[in-house]
Amino acid sequence: MTEYLIAIQDALPYLLRGALVTIALVLCALILGLILGVLLAVGQVYGNKAVRALVGVYVWFFRGVPLLVLLFLFYFGLFSLLEINISAFTAAVIVLGLISAAYQSQIFRAGILSLPEGQFKAARALGMSDTRAVLFVILPQALRLSIPGWSNEYSIVLKDSAVAYALGVAEVMARAHFVASRTYQHLPLYFTAGVIFLVLTYLGTKSLRLLEEKVRIPGYSR
Amino acid sequence: MDELIFIEQEVLPALMRGLRVSLLLIVPSAACGLVIGFLAGALRVYGNRWIKALTSGYVIIFRGFPLVVQLFIWYFGLPHIGIYLSPYAASVIGFALCSGAYHSEYVRGAFLSIKRGQRLAAQAIGFSTFGMIMHIILPQAFRRALPGCGNELIYLIKYSSLAYMITCIELTGEGKVIASETFKYTEIFFIVGLVYLLLTSVAGFLLHRLENSLRLPGFNHYRL
Amino acid sequence: MAQKKEVLRVKNLTKKYAQKEVLKDASFSVDHGEIKVLIGPSGAGKSTLLQCTNFLVIPDRGRIWLEDREILYTKKKELHEYRQKVGMIFQDFNLFDHLTALGNVEIGLVRVKKMNKQEARERAVAELERVGLRDHVAKYPAQLSGGQKQRVSIARALAMDPSVMLLDEPTSALDPELISEVLAVIRALGEEGMTMIIATHQIGFASDLASEIIFMEDGAIVEAGPPAKILSQAECARTREFCAKLTSLY
Repeated sequence: MTEYLIAIQDALPYLLRGALVTIALVLCALILGLILGVLLAVGQVYGNKAVRALVGVYVWFFRGVPLLVLLFLFYFGLFSLLEINISAFTAAVIVLGLISAAYQSQIFRAGILSLPEGQFKAARALGMSDTRAVLFVILPQALRLSIPGWSNEYSIVLKDSAVAYALGVAEVMARAHFVASRTYQHLPLYFTAGVIFLVLTYLGTKSLRLLEEKVRIPGYSR
Repeated sequence: MDELIFIEQEVLPALMRGLRVSLLLIVPSAACGLVIGFLAGALRVYGNRWIKALTSGYVIIFRGFPLVVQLFIWYFGLPHIGIYLSPYAASVIGFALCSGAYHSEYVRGAFLSIKRGQRLAAQAIGFSTFGMIMHIILPQAFRRALPGCGNELIYLIKYSSLAYMITCIELTGEGKVIASETFKYTEIFFIVGLVYLLLTSVAGFLLHRLENSLRLPGFNHYRL
Repeated sequence: MAQKKEVLRVKNLTKKYAQKEVLKDASFSVDHGEIKVLIGPSGAGKSTLLQCTNFLVIPDRGRIWLEDREILYTKKKELHEYRQKVGMIFQDFNLFDHLTALGNVEIGLVRVKKMNKQEARERAVAELERVGLRDHVAKYPAQLSGGQKQRVSIARALAMDPSVMLLDEPTSALDPELISEVLAVIRALGEEGMTMIIATHQIGFASDLASEIIFMEDGAIVEAGPPAKILSQAECARTREFCAKLTSLY
């Protein structure tokens, strides 16, 4: 047991630096997913038939193909094919972001659809263009409503980021494996890696709950 | 022409081999995961204090640790305490226990959503506890849990690809092998992706059909 | 000749939740064909009393006899058999959401009484006809009005051939225009000789139908007696107070 604890103690700083990489990876992917997800959601709710079909295909594809396959496809396949020189980290951010966008678009879509029809009508009545209506009336409300679902998405992307290890990204999992293959302390090290993810999940969801409280509109009932 | 022959003689057999292994991974994992999830969900609602605490602990750990980490612990970590699992065994155990934790959340939600009055009415007619669970609670809980658990099964189909990371060579693994030999990453993984897409789409379609056939007027009000 | 046979006897029912005594030493008995009505302010313990009577709530103390036989409710089999003989109607109907009206009435017959499906179906249809819902047998609870739901729940209880029916504020959750259809069914049952204990706010209806009115407050039975007496010349001051408020409404 003490052997385990020593191994963990020695490796911890190294692993925690990996946690920083994980956090960076997750945040970048989520932001990419957020921006693209909002665009997709708006397109799906307010777009014409062609736009809706395109979004539908995008969502179907990126929710149906496994993460690992997409990582390989993009990093070893597409980027090489297009002769784009990209780091493993960037490739992972892009793939995680594209997948997350597909899921986030559905969260936001649900949020937008849950708003009463009158919101858009009132905005138009004031003379707002559709874009303005969406930006200043619809989205502020829909995004607030989406925070719980988004919290779930954060948790998922965080755990998926561990798969980036397959591309050689130096996040927590990769580092744990690196140390373990040298010290043969697999069990305690992977367990510690898992605990680090648990802590990151907890911190993230807690922050999001605080955010939800902070931006809550007084008297708004669901 | 060479390309087509190549595809026929090298790629297809390998991918079929891989697909077979994938299916051998998915089916038992899904079945075990559902059973584990059902038991854990039920115990979390109806168990005593200790059982609730234990199963909650199980769910927190197995939903909190990334699946990759769990797989690595089963395959690389257990040898430390003298248990040596094959890549296949470690994968199935890992998938079953992990998806079981997710299933249990949906099962728990389903049981909790059954109105208290349903139970009272069943008791008032003289139903035994067993009869009440079998004929009143389960038919309703099943319908409530179906969308969530069904989604979880679709996730399992995709996450089965992670078995490659603990050297269990299934569809993704076979693809990687061929691609590294031929450098045709884009084509191979595009095909691999399409196969998974087909699997998840069929599963999704069947799930949708099942949900529709069980649909009851006014019952979907409490959908999660 | 109607025999005065005691159907149900309840003695010293007591129930405490946390520190509050919601039922204090309640005792009463009902003879065959009698209809007793429980009245009293909210929180008086009427619901608790009824739910203790069929052990949906286990009383801390008290004994119950059905047809001269004491019910040993700790024995599961005896408890379930007892409950089949005591029909209960809830304020919230509590119909099984996943079954049609017919299914709701059938299920007790098939799964509890172990009747064969054909007989159960015929009996279920007959009971639904009895409450006037022949045309709604295939509908799900979500498709029925409140009054219809309550009538289905009465049919469901009747199908079990109860010796006594407990009705816990059967019309309190109904829109006013739907109340009369349910009261009509209950009245018909009374005329057919069903022994009933009804907790209700429908005081006009109660005084019409009841053999005895029982006034409860704060978990205790304050007074019991024939409708005419309780409603206008009650012995206890508190009873007179409560009834005065009621009669001014109705």
